[in-house]
Amino acid sequence: MSVRRLAPADQQPQSFKFTPKSLEVVKFWMGKYPEARKRSAVIPLLWVVQKQEGWVSEPAIQLIAEMLEMPVIRVLEVATFYTMFHLHPVGKNVFQVCGTTPCMLRGANDLKAACKKHMGPKDTVSKDGLFTWQEVECLGACANAPMVQINDYYYEDLTVESLEKLIADLKAGKKPKPGPYVKRFNSAPEGGEKTLLDPALYDGHLGKPAKTLPNAPTTGKSKKEKA
Amino acid sequence: MPTAKVNGQEVEFENGMTVLQVAELAGEEIPRFCYHERLSIAGNCRMCLVEVKPGPPKPQASCALPAMDGQEITTNSPKVKKAREGVMEFLLINHPLDCPICDQGGECDLQDQAMAYGRDGSRFAENKRAVEDKEMGPIIKTEMTRCIQCTRCVRFITEVAGSPQIGATGRGEDLEITTYLESAVTSELSGNVIDLCPVGALTSKPYAFQARPWELKKHEGIDVMDAMGSWIRIDTRGPDVMRVLPRQNDEINEEWLSDKSRYAIDGLRTQRLDTPYVRQKGKLKPATWDEAFAAIESQLSGADAKTIGAIAGDLNEVEGLKAALDLFRSLGVQNTDCREAGAVYGAPGAPRESYLFTCGFEGLEQADAVLIIGSNPRLEAPVLNARLRKMWLKGSAEIGLVGPVMDLTYGYDHLGDEAGALEDLAKGKGAFAKVLKAAKRPALIIGTGALSRPDAAAILNAISEIAQKYKVVREGWSGWNLMHTAAGRVGALDLGFVPGKGGMDTAKMLAAAKAGKLSTLFVLGADEAVADADLGESFVVYVGHHGDAGASKANVILPAAAYTEKPGMYVNMEGRVQAMGRCVFPKGEAKDDWAIFRALSERLGKTLPYDSLADLRARLIADHPTFGRLGYAPEPQGFDLTALASKASKISTKPLTGAVDNFYFTNAIARASQTMATCAKLQSEAQPTNANAKVTA
Amino acid sequence: MGVFSKIFTWWNGSTVGTSWTLMRRGRKVGQDEFGNTYFEARDAKDSYDGRKRRYVTYTGYAEPSKIPPEWHAWMHYITDVPPSEQPLARQPWEADHQPNFTGSGRAYRPKGAIVHDTGAQKQQDHYQAWVP
Repeated sequence: MSVRRLAPADQQPQSFKFTPKSLEVVKFWMGKYPEARKRSAVIPLLWVVQKQEGWVSEPAIQLIAEMLEMPVIRVLEVATFYTMFHLHPVGKNVFQVCGTTPCMLRGANDLKAACKKHMGPKDTVSKDGLFTWQEVECLGACANAPMVQINDYYYEDLTVESLEKLIADLKAGKKPKPGPYVKRFNSAPEGGEKTLLDPALYDGHLGKPAKTLPNAPTTGKSKKEKA
Repeated sequence: MPTAKVNGQEVEFENGMTVLQVAELAGEEIPRFCYHERLSIAGNCRMCLVEVKPGPPKPQASCALPAMDGQEITTNSPKVKKAREGVMEFLLINHPLDCPICDQGGECDLQDQAMAYGRDGSRFAENKRAVEDKEMGPIIKTEMTRCIQCTRCVRFITEVAGSPQIGATGRGEDLEITTYLESAVTSELSGNVIDLCPVGALTSKPYAFQARPWELKKHEGIDVMDAMGSWIRIDTRGPDVMRVLPRQNDEINEEWLSDKSRYAIDGLRTQRLDTPYVRQKGKLKPATWDEAFAAIESQLSGADAKTIGAIAGDLNEVEGLKAALDLFRSLGVQNTDCREAGAVYGAPGAPRESYLFTCGFEGLEQADAVLIIGSNPRLEAPVLNARLRKMWLKGSAEIGLVGPVMDLTYGYDHLGDEAGALEDLAKGKGAFAKVLKAAKRPALIIGTGALSRPDAAAILNAISEIAQKYKVVREGWSGWNLMHTAAGRVGALDLGFVPGKGGMDTAKMLAAAKAGKLSTLFVLGADEAVADADLGESFVVYVGHHGDAGASKANVILPAAAYTEKPGMYVNMEGRVQAMGRCVFPKGEAKDDWAIFRALSERLGKTLPYDSLADLRARLIADHPTFGRLGYAPEPQGFDLTALASKASKISTKPLTGAVDNFYFTNAIARASQTMATCAKLQSEAQPTNANAKVTA
Repeated sequence: MGVFSKIFTWWNGSTVGTSWTLMRRGRKVGQDEFGNTYFEARDAKDSYDGRKRRYVTYTGYAEPSKIPPEWHAWMHYITDVPPSEQPLARQPWEADHQPNFTGSGRAYRPKGAIVHDTGAQKQQDHYQAWVP
């Protein structure tokens, strides 16, 4: 993470307006909070802006401050605090490549090289306007390393080949399926289960009725203390 | 009362105190950066770590920990020492070692505490963080690499100043203090963040690289930029006033000061009158004191005292006015007035309380309903406005306003622009009338703007009706508060620098001058009164320290001393008499005001009966015992409100505006100041960045 | 400087005794641009530290700060080759050597020092006067 600043003035749009569809979402969120605490809706509203435009622009921050009757610097503080808000224009598909240790050990560096090859340098919009890739810290899917978050979904267990296929699919306008890209269910072992396979484990013969509750206070000791 | 043990010593404390405060009660010093008595608690610098029992076995941040009965607080154990050293080492990791070129050097909290509580060296071998400097306007200079993110500036601007423009963007190591898109901070109290900053991140721009604290001579002074009489410290080096800082006085300015009081002092170096001038053949020529006095003497010899007038200005100290008044009265002159804008403060002979801020600034906080009439406290007394904001944040008072809608940094009920709203209130109409009726301690704040209009008598009448109806003055409470804007006004009124028997007031004198009926007019620094006036053929004697509007119209100029250059007494709007000494000498040939009139009196053959300032003060106190009580505000006293009533003329429908249009240009010193000019320019260009938004701490 | 001051004062040039000692035991090494003469002992017989003693005799008033930097270096054993044999390279930005003027009429006074002020404050430094 580095210093987060608003995009330079020449990249900022002249103005910002919510579309009617986003405006409904805005109303939903603003309706959730009482009038005196309406500024609580600042994060949802920033998120709605990002969903609509792909990134958070300066006019949008001004508009949100006006709508929530809060100082504009407070909105800026929130927008710069959370890395999930993009403060610079991004491509249609944002690749967030996890570069933390488990993913790195499983080949995230190769994925980064592939991203660079196909989309250009980090944190920039590719020439066709379709892609932006950035390196992020752990996204919490270490069991499926290496992985990439594309917009809202995780794409896991990637190799350079499968990533390149993903890029090609997105370029072609397809919607690739999220999840692991090797043969397994979520983070279950590759090629089927390897433990707890004995059906006898599940017939109930190991179960024994308990005589006492575990961790229940033993009566004998308390008697001793009384004495 | 609960008790706690601090290093083994039993201390009684009040419920709700923090561990840090209890330790201070016991006389233990706790190092801190982010904690400040008048700001909310942040607890982010971690410098105030202490050991607390019972509690977790690790050092606790004492500023944010409520003290409890039976607590054992240890502030001097090896563990605490080590914890402080550790915190200090972390703070210094990213702090540059540029003390030799830092303006804060010598008065820096971090420097001092690093000496007292830090390790001898750092184990940090990596590169330090660097932060881009931010633009914050003409007053605050930034060097953000030095920032330790205590957020005192953010909390002050948001909570006390009520103009939330500074914030902390980013997070962690990349946290940066900035204004929105680096716009200038436009609050009138913005200079205080410089004092609050514990390091050299925010320093004073006009004072940048001018002096080191140990080169300066420190003088205790009284501020004259507004009528609050704030306590200030004037730092001088040789013949120059280098800077002005606030002194703490909980009854007046707490520890804040407005930007004008701090930064108008560069006006003390420009446009100074340093030699007498006499107009010869239409041109002002430098002269000696002797020649100047001779010119006045020849003008006054044989002149009818009824055609001589004197107007006193906003910044005059009491002694000079006393000497002037004694001289004019001995000459038989009755045309004397100190009310430049011609405000009406009640009928002649009305009690002293009628023109005072009777409940006092600290007393105002006990009010539960405040009605502001024709005043903009934010511009007329910014520090008092911070107090009103504090009351509003606490929710202890309902605030109403009669006058144009403006951003006062707090919420208020707007009752109307015009004086008609006063009549409604007097009749008990409207929601705020109920608030006033229910209030146990209602207070009125009456701006001089409302009383400086042709229909002022009628407005005063309406206000006094309101005051009587809602019992603003009652047993044990007086809420009649006049908001003065001039530091010398109350002192002059106390002296009786008003028209004598059959004398003319300011407006009549100016009209007489225009009509050619006034032969001689003495202008004692009253630049505002004569700025736009046509003085006709009158012989104008200007006594003052700045070449402003008055000097250019003068026939004789007698150079006097500015407030830092003469010992003087000032009475603030509460009626508190305060004295200060001389900090630097008057410029060039200029003399103390009282000495000028003493010398002139000798020339005119009416020698005043005092030869020294001490004699003059003795005489002053003998004539007016109120001046004998230094430093105290008078006890809130009731008075007969009916004394203010007069035959009401008709009230016009003009809006009740405040007395101050441009905060940065209210007196000759401020008008000569480059810094104030820059601030005013920025203020006029500034776009409101949603500053009207309601702000809660 | 006449014979009289040569005999009776020690603060003008070298005394008779010094001249006698230097003639007997010293070897003239060179002379700087001010005319100060430098000597070195012929042997280390009367040395304190095994090094040959080095001497200077001044022209006029005896004032050690008159010694220019290159000779100062030689006098203090920073260099062994005297500047008369191997002159120090002069940089274009180097100013001419000046003795210490402290205590004399040519002593440095900072701007604003009291001795500069005569009577009333000099206005142009500290404030700007109003001109009608």
